Amino acid sequence: MKEKQSILRNDGFQTFAASIVCILLGLIVGYLALLIINAEGAWDAIVNVMKNFFKYPSAAARMKYFGSTLAKTAPLILCSLSVLFAYKVGLFNIGAAGQYCLGVALALYLALAKGMAWPVCLLAGILAGALSGALCGVLRAYCNVNVVISGIMLNWISLYGTNMLLKPCMDPAGKDTFRLVNKAKQAILPTLGLDKLFSNNQYVTLAIPLAVIMAIIVWIVLDKTKLGFELKATGNNLNAAKYCGMKENRNIILTMFIAGALAAMGGALYFLSDVEQWNVNASAVPGMGFNGIAAAFLGGLNPIGCIFSSYFITHITVGGGNVDLSHYCAQIADFISAVIIYLCGFVLFFKTFLNQRLNKAEERKIERARALANDANKEGGKA
Amino acid sequence: MEKPYAIEMLNITKRFPGIIANDNITLQLRKGEIHALLGENGAGKSTLMSVLFGLYQPEEGVIKKDGEVVKINDPNDANRLGIGMVHQHFKLVECFSVLDNIILGVEPNTAGFLQTKEAREKVVALSEKYGLHVDPDAIIEDITVGMQQRTEILKMLYRDNEILIFDEPTAVLTPQEIEELMQIMKGLAKEGKSILFISHKLNEIMEVADRCTVLRKGKYIGTVDIANTTKEELSRMMVGRDVEFVVHKDPAKPTDVVLDVKNMTVASKAHNNNAVKDVSFQVRRGEIVCIAGIDGNGQTELVYGISGLEPLKSGSLIFNGQDITHMPIRKRSVMGMSHIPEDRHKHGLVLDYSLENNMVLQRYFEPEFTNKAGFLRKDNIRKYAERLIEEYDVRSGQGPITPARAMSGGNQQKAIVAREIDKNPLLLIAVQPTRGLDVGAIENIHRQIVAHRDAGNGVLLVSLELDEVMALSDRILVMYEGEIVAELDPKKTTVEEMGLYMAGAKRQ
Amino acid sequence: MLLLIQYTLIFASVLLLVALGGCVSEHSGVINLGLEGIMVIGALGGALVMKFLPATGFVMFLCVLLAAVAFGVIYSSLLAVACINLKADQTIVGTALNMLGTALATVVVKSMNTALNPDDHSSEIEYIKAKKAFLTNIGKFELNWFMIVAVVLLIVVFVLLYKTKFGLRLRACGEHPQAAASVGINVFTMRWAGVLLSGLLGGIGGITYITAGVSTWKFENGVAGFGFLALAVMIFGAWDPFRIAGAALIFGLFRALGNVYNGFDFLKNLPIPSAVYNMLPYIVCLIVLAFTSKNSRAPKAEGIPYDKGMR
Repeated sequence: MKEKQSILRNDGFQTFAASIVCILLGLIVGYLALLIINAEGAWDAIVNVMKNFFKYPSAAARMKYFGSTLAKTAPLILCSLSVLFAYKVGLFNIGAAGQYCLGVALALYLALAKGMAWPVCLLAGILAGALSGALCGVLRAYCNVNVVISGIMLNWISLYGTNMLLKPCMDPAGKDTFRLVNKAKQAILPTLGLDKLFSNNQYVTLAIPLAVIMAIIVWIVLDKTKLGFELKATGNNLNAAKYCGMKENRNIILTMFIAGALAAMGGALYFLSDVEQWNVNASAVPGMGFNGIAAAFLGGLNPIGCIFSSYFITHITVGGGNVDLSHYCAQIADFISAVIIYLCGFVLFFKTFLNQRLNKAEERKIERARALANDANKEGGKA
Repeated sequence: MEKPYAIEMLNITKRFPGIIANDNITLQLRKGEIHALLGENGAGKSTLMSVLFGLYQPEEGVIKKDGEVVKINDPNDANRLGIGMVHQHFKLVECFSVLDNIILGVEPNTAGFLQTKEAREKVVALSEKYGLHVDPDAIIEDITVGMQQRTEILKMLYRDNEILIFDEPTAVLTPQEIEELMQIMKGLAKEGKSILFISHKLNEIMEVADRCTVLRKGKYIGTVDIANTTKEELSRMMVGRDVEFVVHKDPAKPTDVVLDVKNMTVASKAHNNNAVKDVSFQVRRGEIVCIAGIDGNGQTELVYGISGLEPLKSGSLIFNGQDITHMPIRKRSVMGMSHIPEDRHKHGLVLDYSLENNMVLQRYFEPEFTNKAGFLRKDNIRKYAERLIEEYDVRSGQGPITPARAMSGGNQQKAIVAREIDKNPLLLIAVQPTRGLDVGAIENIHRQIVAHRDAGNGVLLVSLELDEVMALSDRILVMYEGEIVAELDPKKTTVEEMGLYMAGAKRQ
Repeated sequence: MLLLIQYTLIFASVLLLVALGGCVSEHSGVINLGLEGIMVIGALGGALVMKFLPATGFVMFLCVLLAAVAFGVIYSSLLAVACINLKADQTIVGTALNMLGTALATVVVKSMNTALNPDDHSSEIEYIKAKKAFLTNIGKFELNWFMIVAVVLLIVVFVLLYKTKFGLRLRACGEHPQAAASVGINVFTMRWAGVLLSGLLGGIGGITYITAGVSTWKFENGVAGFGFLALAVMIFGAWDPFRIAGAALIFGLFRALGNVYNGFDFLKNLPIPSAVYNMLPYIVCLIVLAFTSKNSRAPKAEGIPYDKGMR
């Protein structure tokens, strides 16, 4: 039975291939959309989306904008880890967007209104998101409320709550909160000298290595520990988990607590890097949480894969800003991400299809071998 | 004079990747006869029926209706040819009325709007003609399993089906209900309906069938006249060797009480009444106590209560001298309680986990499998799983790393039995431990249960199979509507007497 | 007060329409989490007609309605093909459709605006005149014709589900698809029908929503979780059309409060920030769900892809 298996049979390879197919199809659909909007500049536009910072001629500028893209990747990695972690335990954390808001809310509020230092702001943000996630978990565990619906409701509640909390921190010059550089330097994340590597891009902070470390921790927890064993068992079969004495309700709540913490950490890290400011009249839930869903599935539900898929999605989203705005709009990148998630829904189908083809091919081979053997037998019989 | 054939399946061969499910099988059903189709699980009965209903297309062979070759591409074709089936798992929509279920698919309507008046009259008439006593307006989930089965029969009669197939129809019925069903089947045959009766219960086949076709491992073994055969011959044809109907076991030597159930009441999940009502009994070390009863009389909830899956409404549980009434499941398990669950897919296995991970599902937290830092010791898990696989002969494609989902039902069950017995529990709760297994595997599991008793442990067996109850138990408790209505000695009672208690017609 | 009733009724109509859509889809066995996206696309269809069609009165109304229906149905087929034929995860696909709906509508509207006027990069469509086609003033009460549409469709859906052959078959597919298949019903067809009907209802819900009280719509914002509120209404209404209608009225009231609380002096004087009124429907929804989900009587087979091989 020690036959060498075709690489096509390898689950990891199949997942990887499926992701690549999703990306390619997503880009093709995006390109088609651009073609419909305006055929002339479509190719340039899609190339611009793909190029992102590569469009800059000088190496220093490329590094600088590469750094900015990474700074935006870090929160997405955490949001995708949040979605992934919950999904491994059978829960769909669509509430990542709201938990992300709460992370931002507490971090900025403590930074701007209370003048706290960054570790406090970060931890408070994480805790707020974690509690919101845990609330989802409690509702699911004890009241049987679908986490998708409670997640969406909490998204909107969190959005308005964040607006309310941050209103006093608004810069009167606009609708956004004050820049930390101006008002709360103590709350800005340390750069650890990383900024030097990226042409003095001050947005390259601790956030980036921290996000990668979190991905590795999530991977270890899910794959190597007793906790991961229990959580995944709960996710795969709640009844079996209960049957063998796992505390299934506690596991659900704990999972959502951790998922909430991860998403909120993304929000807090991002805003404590001072890359963006919060619009206190925001009327839409930030897309980061939803893009986290895309990144999680595109990454094949693997924490390490999430790092790369998050980078890819950020890359095209930032690149989306480079399209010729007199014809196109930056949301083309959102459109492409959405198409990619839609296609990710088919990954299972893709794998089943591939395996069926492989099975059929093998069967044919066996049939042929058998037929040959039969013929040989008959020949032998005659002789 | 021989009656003509109503339906013939000639030289049917159906292959699946890796196996030949039907290998040159011939089945000929005469008009107005009751024809049994006998075979173990996995003998190819289901595949053959799927071919008849057009769910699969055979690679070789033909189907003839009234002597003419027909092509059956889907269940609708089968329906048009007048073939109907009562499935083992009923195909009824639980929240619909009996009438709605009967007319589903052939709804009388004008311009799409339902017209049920005539349909109701026809159903009532049929129900009277065949003595089925079914209320067309009752909701399926409110009526007994027997009634549900009659609804299925009415479904076929309403469609004027001539060929009626009964797939393992007696598995869910009481002995009395089985008796009634036999009468109904005979009545139907007398009216000219042709009946195919799929079963592995020899007694029933001997009682009701005219002829019997036997399959084994996908092959056609033969067709015999029931009048000229014996139970022993049939079983030999089915299994391929002589089968012992009795389990060899010495008389029980019960010692200390290991489980003491006092006035236990458990609420039911679905409705707001009690599924288990004020039940008290004891299990001693060195004996097998069996809970007998028809499915749905509180056995499931009784086990849930004892194992901790469901809290008690009142009453108490003493296990090995300790009060475990409010103890969490994990603690009960660590104290020496094992539970082979009724539904292996719902409770017994994490289907997406590998076999080795399923093997340690009850012990993964022990120091042997998890180090102090909380990391799994995967090498030890592998070694442990390999030992159990070896000792309990669990077969799977890739050994310990096979996903549980990819294993056959019999081997999944073996894996669970191995896991639960290897814990060497003081009390083994086994709920239908042999459901869906073939004779060889059943013998094997029965032997392990008896050995476990002989090692001085208690066994609480819940079974719906009366043969199993009679063969294994040292004491029988009969449950009816959540209460224990009788305690019987298997040596002194009969299946018929047990049936009366199970049906609620008698109580001690 | 009249204003409150008016807003309550219009928001209740939206919730009712969309929740009925969810209800039909779930009775067929498919959880339609993409209703939010379907609403956006339906609204887009209606808004485009209002912007470009030079008609008035009933013709306008009919065209807007048909456009919303057509867009909703076509868009929902994306869900159907993925969830029914390709057995994709219904949650992922629904979420993807929500994101795609907003992204697609934004891209379409922005590029349309930019094409008409190179300096216009907004994602807004304005339809103040066109909207008059389906508003009738009865005294001070402004009757939106879509309220009537909602009531009519409520009755239609009820009759369809419980009085017709189609409804019986549809519900059988949501409860026990294997049983339905065993009597010759094509489960795939019925589920397609359920999803497309939910697209129809969701599309109408979408256009109703963007004409409720405002005259321009910024498509970047989507429909603010209304699709999910509607799902909550459906759960609260226990998958029963008339109970859903009752639930929609309650939720509509809370949503309307956010719009009109300024008109009530005692509410205005309370020291409650406006954000709280904005949150209100969502908070109420959470609380209601917490109390009603435990014993929910959802169609048994919902969310489980139907596989012919499974028995």
